[in-house]
Amino acid sequence: MESKSTAIYEAEQIGHYLLSIPIHDSEKNTYIDAMQKLNIPFSNYEQALWNSMLKSKFKMACIDAGLALKDPNNNARRKLFTMLAILEASPNYTQYFLSRNFSFFYLFKIGAVGIRAVLRAMIGILIVNNIKRKCS
Amino acid sequence: MQLKYDYIIVGSGATGAIAAHALVEAGVNVAVLDVGVEDEKYKEIIPNKDFISIRKEDDNQKKYFLGNDFEGIPWQTSKVGSQLTPPRNFLTQLSKKFIPFESDSFSPMESMAKGGLGGGWGLGCYEFSKPELDAIGLKESEMLKAYEAVASHIGISGDKDDAAPYTLRDLKNVMPVSDLEQNLNGIFSSYKNQKNSLNKKGIYVGRTPLAVLTKDRENRRAIQYKDMDLWSDKDKSGYRSWMTIEQLSSNSNFTYHKNCLVIKFREQENGVDVIVKRTDTNEEQIFTCKKLILSPGVLGTARIVIRSFDYKKEQLPVICNPYCYIPCFQWRMLGKEIEQRKTGFGQLMLFLDEDKTNFDVGLAALYSYRSLLLFKLIKESPLNYSDSRILMQYMQSSFTIAGVHHPEKSSATKFIRMKQNVETFTGDILTGQYILSDQELQTNENREKKIKSALKTLGCQPIKTIYTPHGGSIHYAGTLPFSDNGEKFSIHPNGKLAGTKNVFVADGSGFNYLPAKGLTFTLMANAYNVAKNVLKNE
Ligand SMILES: Cc1cc2nc3c(=O)[nH]c(=O)nc-3n(C[C@H](O)[C@H](O)[C@H](O)COP(=O)(O)OP(=O)(O)OC[C@H]3O[C@@H](n4cnc5c(N)ncnc54)[C@H](O)[C@@H]3O)c2cc1C
Repeated sequence: MESKSTAIYEAEQIGHYLLSIPIHDSEKNTYIDAMQKLNIPFSNYEQALWNSMLKSKFKMACIDAGLALKDPNNNARRKLFTMLAILEASPNYTQYFLSRNFSFFYLFKIGAVGIRAVLRAMIGILIVNNIKRKCS
Repeated sequence: MQLKYDYIIVGSGATGAIAAHALVEAGVNVAVLDVGVEDEKYKEIIPNKDFISIRKEDDNQKKYFLGNDFEGIPWQTSKVGSQLTPPRNFLTQLSKKFIPFESDSFSPMESMAKGGLGGGWGLGCYEFSKPELDAIGLKESEMLKAYEAVASHIGISGDKDDAAPYTLRDLKNVMPVSDLEQNLNGIFSSYKNQKNSLNKKGIYVGRTPLAVLTKDRENRRAIQYKDMDLWSDKDKSGYRSWMTIEQLSSNSNFTYHKNCLVIKFREQENGVDVIVKRTDTNEEQIFTCKKLILSPGVLGTARIVIRSFDYKKEQLPVICNPYCYIPCFQWRMLGKEIEQRKTGFGQLMLFLDEDKTNFDVGLAALYSYRSLLLFKLIKESPLNYSDSRILMQYMQSSFTIAGVHHPEKSSATKFIRMKQNVETFTGDILTGQYILSDQELQTNENREKKIKSALKTLGCQPIKTIYTPHGGSIHYAGTLPFSDNGEKFSIHPNGKLAGTKNVFVADGSGFNYLPAKGLTFTLMANAYNVAKNVLKNE
């Protein structure tokens, strides 16, 4: 398991990627606890993916998107998934997870997010392939 | 500690609890032997509030939603048991240690809990039709009376709608049906509009009868629509088998012994010795009784019977309904906020009975998605988690999950086998194989296609089909098939284990066939009859 400061940095990066806001200390601490208890194993390839994801929110989004299509059960995604669950189970972020009602921008928003997701996946697949080539 | 009783029942699950209730009511002296695991971690910390209030207010929610060890964040969702929430995980706790099971093709879920799997069942209650009861080996006239008795004990709410021939039939002890949630109401309205054409294809849709109270009764409250049903039993609206055991515990003629793993029995001149290995001290204990009733679940009974008959036969047949689930998208719900007042139980059923025989009927149980939390739904999406979260927030109300069960019968490629193994607590281990023939697979695939087509007609677009490993339906039967020829390793239809004088089986071990519908109401009704037969057999 990595050091506490590394885990806090990871928690901040993932939280920012998932919700686009800074997250509270309580969720960072829960993430540290989760990483200790789950002890998610990383292969060299997964470690390389993870290092790259931590470099920027953009890379994290693209690699996550690429893996979602190519290798959804990759352990690098498991860290993101764990944080997603932690954020959902906190009253601080409830409004980010409860169902949303119809609004004027509703269909526009779905369309825009959908297009962004596809673009991220396209770039992500290239990055993932590149990292895989380097690791093999 | 007293070790001598008139009647001993093994197991406190749905069948053991009902058998115990029937015997205690008759005034005889009864003991239940059980391992009896209980939830000690979560019960007390879950507030008695509705899902939305908890989500908005409770700082402690991560403890029970995710679990102390984050066991509520499943990474391999196709594993049998991954559908249990952390507060329900106690159901399978210690099973690996005390009743291990090994197989590449069969993954049954077994329980060592007080109340057994009945501590987390989905509460769907169905009377089986005459052809179904005939195929199982049960007499309809006796079962109809037993269904009434069980319904009056556990409390069932439902409706006499189009699905009644497949659900309640003529059951009288029924409370008014619960309020139908918006997501499923849309499907039901659509069915009502297209009923004639759907009925011609053998499709019938109706309300699921549930073991849920819609009127207060003693210490149980009518359903409060808090949508916390998959997490806690605060109001006791839904029936759980441990409630019967707790209720019986105030009777002087009833004793509940926990930490007792029954290994085998030995018949004596005037009764039965029950050999127990204590799970707290590892010591052996011998209880004695006039009559023994086995209800540790079909695999549990198989273990005890194989050992008691000195491993003379190590391989037994087994049946388990094939099961898959189909997430569907309902356009009409798009952009609608999920109502606060709802329940997590499957309130609607779709039946496929093409030849209208009420036999080999396929079914889909329909559920909306909310209280299992959004992150599990996000995981199933092929998109990155961040964008997927935003999309799912808008689309969550549109998801309907169809749980499809197929009817099932035994065959030579579906069996369990006991093997000696010195490393286990009991010195043996149950193994098994579950393989469907190509023809069975084809029949099931055709049935799924027709169900999916009906769902589409009802405005529910199937997205994908997720197959659970065999064992995933959590409906097991048929290890010691009913037969009146007295052959060893079979059960007489009155419940007596062939080759014994005073040993009876009250669980589903004898069932020769499994309709697609949940079997538990029928298991309980049969257990009631077995208890009555045991009394007659004095
Ligand atoms: C999530 C879930 C949802 C379900 N939904 C439905 C539904 O909607 N409708 C439906 O019909 N069915 C449903 N079921 C199935 C239903 O729960 C089972 O069919 C039913 O509980 C089986 O009851 P049983 O008494 O035969 O066995 P169990 O419930 O398995 O009880 C066995 C008992 O025996 C004890 N035991 C086992 N071995 C020994 C031993 N050697 N010595 C001492 N004690 C022992 C255990 O501790 C336990 O108390 C569901 C199950 C689950 C888990």
